Amino acid sequence: MNRRQFLKYALYGAGGTAIGVSGLGALTKVAPKSAIATTNTEETTVFSACEMCRNQCPIAVKVVNGKVTKIEGNPNDSGFGGVICARGNSGPSLLYDPQRLKKPMIRTGERGTGKYKEVSWDEAYTYIADKLKVIQQDFGGESVAFASRKGPHDWFFRTIGKGIGSPNIFSHEATCPMTRSVALDSMFGVEAIAADYANAKYIVSFGRNWLEGIHIAQTRAIMKAIDNGAKLVVLDPRLSVTASKGEWIPIKGTTDLAFVMAMANIIITEERYDKDFVERYTSGFDQWKEAVKDKTPEWAENETGIPKETIIRITREFAEARPQAILDFGWRTGLTPNDFQLRRAIMIVNMMMGNFEVPGGYYRIKNASVTNRFPEMTGYAKALGAINQPAFPKPVTSRIDGTGIKGIPGQLIPEGDGAVGQIVESILTGQPYQIKAWMVHRFNPVISITESDRVIEALKKLDLLVVCDVYMTDTAMFADVILPECSYLERHEPVYDMSGLTPKYVLRQPAVELVYPDTKPSWQIYKELGEKMDLGKYFPFQNIENYISRQLTPAGLSLSQLKQKGVWTPEGMKPFYLRANDSQASLGNVISKVSQKIEFYSEEVQHATKQGVPQYKRHPQPEEGKFRFVQGKVAVHTNAGTVNVPVLNELMPENSLWINKASADNLGILDGDDIIISSGIYEHKGKAKVTEGIRPDTVFCYHGFGRISPELKRAFGKGINDNKLILNQIGEVGNVCTSMTMVTVKKA
Amino acid sequence: MNNKTAELYLSFAGIFHRPHPEIAEHLEELIELWRGEIPESKEQLVEIEDYCRKYPLVNDRLDTLWEHYIPLFETGDIEAIPYASVYFNDNGLVLGKEAEDVREFYLSCGYVIGNEKQELPDHLAVELEFLALLARDGKTQKLAEFERDHLRPFLRTILPLIIKSKRPVYSSAAKTLEIWQLNSDRKGDSIG
Repeated sequence: MNRRQFLKYALYGAGGTAIGVSGLGALTKVAPKSAIATTNTEETTVFSACEMCRNQCPIAVKVVNGKVTKIEGNPNDSGFGGVICARGNSGPSLLYDPQRLKKPMIRTGERGTGKYKEVSWDEAYTYIADKLKVIQQDFGGESVAFASRKGPHDWFFRTIGKGIGSPNIFSHEATCPMTRSVALDSMFGVEAIAADYANAKYIVSFGRNWLEGIHIAQTRAIMKAIDNGAKLVVLDPRLSVTASKGEWIPIKGTTDLAFVMAMANIIITEERYDKDFVERYTSGFDQWKEAVKDKTPEWAENETGIPKETIIRITREFAEARPQAILDFGWRTGLTPNDFQLRRAIMIVNMMMGNFEVPGGYYRIKNASVTNRFPEMTGYAKALGAINQPAFPKPVTSRIDGTGIKGIPGQLIPEGDGAVGQIVESILTGQPYQIKAWMVHRFNPVISITESDRVIEALKKLDLLVVCDVYMTDTAMFADVILPECSYLERHEPVYDMSGLTPKYVLRQPAVELVYPDTKPSWQIYKELGEKMDLGKYFPFQNIENYISRQLTPAGLSLSQLKQKGVWTPEGMKPFYLRANDSQASLGNVISKVSQKIEFYSEEVQHATKQGVPQYKRHPQPEEGKFRFVQGKVAVHTNAGTVNVPVLNELMPENSLWINKASADNLGILDGDDIIISSGIYEHKGKAKVTEGIRPDTVFCYHGFGRISPELKRAFGKGINDNKLILNQIGEVGNVCTSMTMVTVKKA
Repeated sequence: MNNKTAELYLSFAGIFHRPHPEIAEHLEELIELWRGEIPESKEQLVEIEDYCRKYPLVNDRLDTLWEHYIPLFETGDIEAIPYASVYFNDNGLVLGKEAEDVREFYLSCGYVIGNEKQELPDHLAVELEFLALLARDGKTQKLAEFERDHLRPFLRTILPLIIKSKRPVYSSAAKTLEIWQLNSDRKGDSIG
């Protein structure tokens, strides 16, 4: 083409007949009859599910003329009461954020330099498929790790991993409450145990912080209990918002298990436990009694720093309130390497009080498959259907984290979760074998896994890193391929079971069309990638509507039915507590242990860890001049996920380091001073928040700040990244350990 | 109104759309056009010529254009967000009222964002492309109206950001566009 002909051709076409701009343009000519501006206002409410955190609360999305204007809680769900948190409310600012990922990209420069080119989806799929094929041929499918933030996308994401024969598929749970899951599984044979906070009269929390680590239904239940006169006791080195609503016990870090064992000691000594429950429903009480016989209040005072009188008083108050008394099992990252034993001990004390399957206690989650085991509950709900897949190739090696191997702690790690921190170790050390590629979905290891610098070092060693997300996260900036997922307000997702005391199904559906047209939902991304990798047979559905319909049909429901309210619960079914009216009712249908007992002593745990009942282990305390470094959640952000979301960033753009006033005075640090925190290996700058609301031997910061990706423009470099400082230590059941690092603090 | 106006608008639209092989291949043609129509931009055109000499191959040009386009316009820490709504709304988000207004303007002139190459309606390149089409179609009044109500206020905000970025081709093209628009203002006429 001659010079100057190019623009003319684009404008006028070959014969002067072009109606738009050939090849280059975005605009198309339409018939005049279509050219009528919209003047009517169309308002609708779309009932869907939030994804600003993992809880996926039911939401009502207000849409005006095709644009999301507001998000509220779904009033059709009584558990949530039409309420949503600040994060849920901020959804539109994520949806319309100009900083979102918009197109698939392939790296063109050095890792971490941010040099990319945009490519078509097909090019991106081809690149990934070709690379994985080579890695698979050279090192085996097991050399490819998969890690995601747990959610409904996992069915599709994990299918890729299973399809190539990788055993190394991980969730983020090891950086979250996996120790609790292990504890429940070891005692009840199932993780699906929940607490009925709303009807409790006495609640003891070990660092659980419902008013900052918000789960709408549970937070509301806690507030309801407090409104009804329940007493709340919070053991936490820091005065959290939750602690401020009750009695704050500033316990010495990592000694929670001592407090729980002393409670058991007092309860047994004073015979305050429910003997009938213990005899009828549990096993291993004698071993537990032996384990706590010397765990006296005096001993616990020395360990925890809490006066023995306080320990005795709280224990007696707790016992008086039974069975409407809850020692909370926690929902947070593991504190110590043996955190799962703390969770087990907590549940043992709970079960000593007989607070199972009664109002104000713990209960087995009543999904359809559970309720249908009871004749009087049959017929209220049917289980969702499964989408069957052909048999996957059997992995030729064990997992890198020992999950599932008998006789070691890995035996206890949930197979669906794994010890995600081990991916970093395997990349860096080659042990037990080398991970060469890492597929990451909506997960940010650089911020979520301890020792961020080591994580980055590991990412740089990979042959292939693929990240699927909505933002250019701290991990994405090291990726070879970036896949832009559309937001939760623009996509369907498989219906998920959100049962509590009754069965419940929740739908996520698009509220609006794609804002950035070249983004895609995860189901489509992995189905298309799978097809490119010759794994199409593992995705036996046409589209997501087809997938959802196949879930719903066996349950006697339809997609159109669920779209109307966004949530489904069986009409007329009341909260189902098995022992509400019959304290001797059989628990056989809700306990999944072969023994049919709640196992205080677990043969499985004994086999794996040599500790069939929890035993106390003393962890180091800070030396003179050092502080225990702890972290936690804040109400307006979700861990590593939201600090760049416009509205939430405006609410809280950075964190600071909480330090006790007396400690700060000793160091000459004033509130707001610039400081340097050192773990001995890593240093981090920050600002001091001087307060009486923390123990003198402890410092604290909120998690998720101090972002290292300059692409997260609003969050970059603001505040403290706790995981840069927290030393890498993989706990007994694969958990991250957040309370084991000691630091020094000095004025900058 | 003349063909030059349409070509000029299209040339800038081509630059500010996502990097495209046709544009990478025909950069010299754009320089030639601008040299003829915007002679005051000599300094900027030399810069783009230098770039063309440095990267004679289309693929090399494309790679370097992407290298600069993404941080400048597309993802993450964007230096010059290309959507007008972001500047005209209080909340700094896309698809605000300005996007709806220009979309309706397009519609009133018989244009919509096509199915194949979707883009937000208030993207800088789409607005420039729209003006190219109006100029081509001789819709003088509409063109002047759109320039006055939408393009000019947008350019006043975004062009300094692009120029400031000092990113090859984009910065020079933005300065050239600014010069052209200033000249048009001085002439007191509609462009062309």
